[in-house]
Amino acid sequence: MVEAIKGLLITCDIPMAQFIINLNNTMPNAQKFILEILDDTHLFVQPHMADTIQYRLQEFRDSNTFEKPLGVRN
Amino acid sequence: MKPPGGDSGRPVKKAKTTQKSSGSGKAKEPYEAPEDLDDDDEEYYEDGGAEPEEKIEKKDFTKLELKADHQNRPLWVCADGHIFLETFSHLYKQAYDFLIAISEPVCRPESMHEYNLTPHSLYAAVSVGLETETIITVLDRLSKTKLHKEIIDFIRDSTLNYGKVKLVLQKNRYFVESPFPEVLQKLLRDDAISRARISSVDAKDGQPSFHVSKAPLEQGGQDMLGADEIAAAAEEKEMHSFEIDPAQVEHVKQRCLPNALNFPMLEEYDFRNDTINADVAMELKPQAQPRPYQEKSLSKMFGNGRARSGIIVLPCGAGKSLVGVSAACRIRKSCLCLATNAVSVDQWAFQFKLWSTIRDDQISRFTSDSKERLKSNVGVVVTTYNMVAFGGKRSEESQKIIEEIQNREWGLLLMDEVHVVPAHMFRKVISITKSHCKLGLTATLVREDDRISDLNFLIGPKLYEANWLDLVKGGFIANVQCAEVWCPMTKEFYAEYLKKENSRKRQGLYVMNPNKFRACEFLIRFHEQQRGDKIIVFSDNLFALRAYAQKLRRPFIDGPTSHHERTRVLQAFKHSTELNTVFLSKVGDNSIDIPEANVLIQISSHAGSRRQEAQRLGRILRAKGKHKDRMAGGSEEFNAFFYTLVSTDTQEMYYSTKRQQFLIDQGYSFKVITSLPPEGSGPELSYYTLQDQLDLLTKVLNAGEEAAGVEELEEDMDDVTRFRTRRTQGQMSRYSGADGMMYMEYSTGKGRGKPKPRDPNKPRHNLFKKRFT
Repeated sequence: MVEAIKGLLITCDIPMAQFIINLNNTMPNAQKFILEILDDTHLFVQPHMADTIQYRLQEFRDSNTFEKPLGVRN
Repeated sequence: MKPPGGDSGRPVKKAKTTQKSSGSGKAKEPYEAPEDLDDDDEEYYEDGGAEPEEKIEKKDFTKLELKADHQNRPLWVCADGHIFLETFSHLYKQAYDFLIAISEPVCRPESMHEYNLTPHSLYAAVSVGLETETIITVLDRLSKTKLHKEIIDFIRDSTLNYGKVKLVLQKNRYFVESPFPEVLQKLLRDDAISRARISSVDAKDGQPSFHVSKAPLEQGGQDMLGADEIAAAAEEKEMHSFEIDPAQVEHVKQRCLPNALNFPMLEEYDFRNDTINADVAMELKPQAQPRPYQEKSLSKMFGNGRARSGIIVLPCGAGKSLVGVSAACRIRKSCLCLATNAVSVDQWAFQFKLWSTIRDDQISRFTSDSKERLKSNVGVVVTTYNMVAFGGKRSEESQKIIEEIQNREWGLLLMDEVHVVPAHMFRKVISITKSHCKLGLTATLVREDDRISDLNFLIGPKLYEANWLDLVKGGFIANVQCAEVWCPMTKEFYAEYLKKENSRKRQGLYVMNPNKFRACEFLIRFHEQQRGDKIIVFSDNLFALRAYAQKLRRPFIDGPTSHHERTRVLQAFKHSTELNTVFLSKVGDNSIDIPEANVLIQISSHAGSRRQEAQRLGRILRAKGKHKDRMAGGSEEFNAFFYTLVSTDTQEMYYSTKRQQFLIDQGYSFKVITSLPPEGSGPELSYYTLQDQLDLLTKVLNAGEEAAGVEELEEDMDDVTRFRTRRTQGQMSRYSGADGMMYMEYSTGKGRGKPKPRDPNKPRHNLFKKRFT
């Protein structure tokens, strides 16, 4: 009998995949969301996590991006 | 005035916010025509609760009146003090010279410059002899729009007191001088100043009056005029002055700062009439031909026949030392030259001998390695800030020299790299050395802390600042291609990078990223083999520095490297065709002079320091090749290359962008390269196989926190600090005392700490002198 799970396929680059895997690892067991790591750039995750992942990713990216402060002159 | 809703002239982004906020908070208030649009903006956003950052910068100047012949005028002057200059205007050169005198450059890209009028910049303007009314008239003449009243008031207010009072050293007496007697009277009303006043001036006309009396003042004024043959127009007025006690000069100066009486003093040195200090027979050699911008900066300094104190800002490699030497030659008095480290001391001494006719016995170096005493009674002494400001115990020999330095009266105090020296050290240096005139030289007047403004009062205002791009166009400095190379993290390194427990090793991980290593190796090979360039690789991270240098089998120089070894490596780099790449740690940031290098690769850096970035770029700015090739339209478009290797998706991206801001403001642009090393490159570059990469990863992780450690080095590499550095370097665990624990375990159990390292400067006791020679 074939078992089917509904999920979300994420295609991304290698570091981002690692970021998501790391995110998954830091979650408590009950909330782990990665169903399958397909390869370096493809992940299969639970569908409801899309927003969370995107949010966390954005947060992480912002922390690595410098924006020139406006109005501060020196 | 327009109601905010119907405003079509505003930027789109802001218009949106306006609508939003009017929908929520402001709806209950009917639109009213505000008195002032700027104020209106603020009120508006407070009411509407919109993000505060929106209100900054966005200002509406649509109401400014455009002049009929605005096309011929180069400036846009905004009411908030920002000035925009069109560099394609035919008046660009004149306008630029004027603006650089009165305002601070904010951003200078190719065709549009932005400047900002600040109280400090106006202080600098008046100090070089510009008058309030001149500033306003010229600004108005150049402006496309009618000057806003606000800006005129601002200039008036800011220049009202600046530059009205001068502190003049004449025949070794300090005079406070001003063309406005009422100002002097105001000053004398202050207790501290009136106490400092020497009444011998009064004795001349027999009036021991407390107030400024007319007769002696004019007397002073005539003296000055007689002496000043080439006085600028501004100087031709009557001068009023009173004498003050040399011992109280510091107090008087302090009382005059803006936080007290608000009459900041300018310092000028009438060196031609100084008969007490003997002249040094030194002149510029005929082959030393100052370039136009060097001439200009000197003319600002010697504008009225006297020497002004101040700071001259020129990019690295644009010939700061020649400016310094020329200034010294013009003053022709004893000169104390301060540099940041022993290497640059040697270079300054060399520059003096190269450009001027100074005799060898009139120049001496004073560092912990070479303690030369000045043989003649006048001359040039080159030393480091640390040697002068050092508070600890000195050897007998250097104690003598330092006393000599303190007791001497210096004509010129020449200070190199003024931006790196902490303000307290400056105060100390300036207070213990008596100098008539101070000249600061620097390439980058930025600091991450706010200490720059201190320089204004400690040394003097900024006298001149060159535009980098103009110098590039003129072929005076190299035309640099700046590039940021994006190196993706490998899977394994990134996985470790993200782990929480590795947060302290992050730097080690992104610096040692195999892709970065490969990119670096590729660049080195490319430039060495294809172009025959000389390459410097910079790394702040010592672990990476050693790892890279060892793997690529190239020499490296860091803090602990001895002076001798350093000189040897640099000599080889300069002269040998075999050695084309050298790895430098932070020590190479300032003052290591390697004119041959024209490629710079940066693999790790000190967080977001804009100054470091600019200083490093400066290492390769010295112009190379033939002059005509370098001019705009010459055969080579770029002749120097500046690469920053950045591991993507890491903190490094943040720092990298921040670091670039200064250079971007100078008009440089950074090109992003994503495909290095190129697709096809395989095992010829290191760390090709996964196994190699994993080995490297293990090494980085095992190196522990050492890998994350940035060199513990004070900005100035002097032997005094090098000694200290050696003691603080090591594993992070040392700070927690864990090192001591380990020592206890392996020690013979006496429980004693390490014996104190002997201070090499301390003389040995007579009993031991024979044994240790």
